[in-house]
Amino acid sequence: MKINLFEDKKTTDEHIDIYFSEMRPVIKQVIDIVKSERPSLPGRPADEDLDDGEEIFLDPGDIYYFDHVERKLFAYTENGVYRLMTTLGSVEEQLSPYGFVRISKSNLVNIYKIKQLKPDINMKVYVSFDNGERICINRSYKKSFTEYLQKMRRMSR
Amino acid sequence: MKDFIKSYLIELCCSYTIISVAGAFINMLAGTDTNNVNVIMMFIFCNIAVFVLSIHKFFEKLSPLAMIIIQYVVAVVMCTIAVLIATCFVGPVSPRGWFELFRSFTIPYVIGAALYYYRLWIEAGKQQDLLKEIQDLNEDKK
Repeated sequence: MKINLFEDKKTTDEHIDIYFSEMRPVIKQVIDIVKSERPSLPGRPADEDLDDGEEIFLDPGDIYYFDHVERKLFAYTENGVYRLMTTLGSVEEQLSPYGFVRISKSNLVNIYKIKQLKPDINMKVYVSFDNGERICINRSYKKSFTEYLQKMRRMSR
Repeated sequence: MKDFIKSYLIELCCSYTIISVAGAFINMLAGTDTNNVNVIMMFIFCNIAVFVLSIHKFFEKLSPLAMIIIQYVVAVVMCTIAVLIATCFVGPVSPRGWFELFRSFTIPYVIGAALYYYRLWIEAGKQQDLLKEIQDLNEDKK
């Protein structure tokens, strides 16, 4: 798809025109992103080669959590796992105002997708998601997690 | 390492002061007395306790339960070694003495572990309530 970008510092009417032959998912996504206030993240399906899979834009609202494994970053959604070509730190910085908080060195979770918080018999506290998955909250991040929840409650009121 | 030593010494000073002052009050109320060996042993046990509690960060990957058990074993071994060394100077410990030592050590440790577990449940409950409140206030973001 061809993209034309025009920079005009004097313009007061910023707008986007989309020309399309048929309403494909990628067009729909572009529209959703433009309409959305949340930033979107480019990613590719994790089970495909990085060069083959079509890059799609992920809405943070659809992401359950991010997992950083062997220097690779993955986003887990209801529809699948996507690989992102960025760092966990930059995603955290970008998505912190939208309900994403770090619970361990390699996991960033979406608090709006959490179903339950429960301590286990081994004294670890686990986060359970709508999709049945669960991740452990690391002891070192327990305090910052609580502080984040308190901050988000204040902001939500 | 410098920070570790600094915080170790601060915690040692605080814990030893609290224990020795509490011990002095108990002795005054009970009309009992202490001796130099007791004071030194109290200081050694304080060192062991502070050291064992300060190594928790090396068990980050383990569960808290595993960490508590490891810390308990390390503390028991170190206390046993300390008492064995002390017997070289003050005479042997009776079998009852060993039993009393481990009982007086184990009971507060188990109580402490139970309190930690209880606090964990309470904290998780509070976090769950906070989370529910945030989710209810932002129903559209779910």
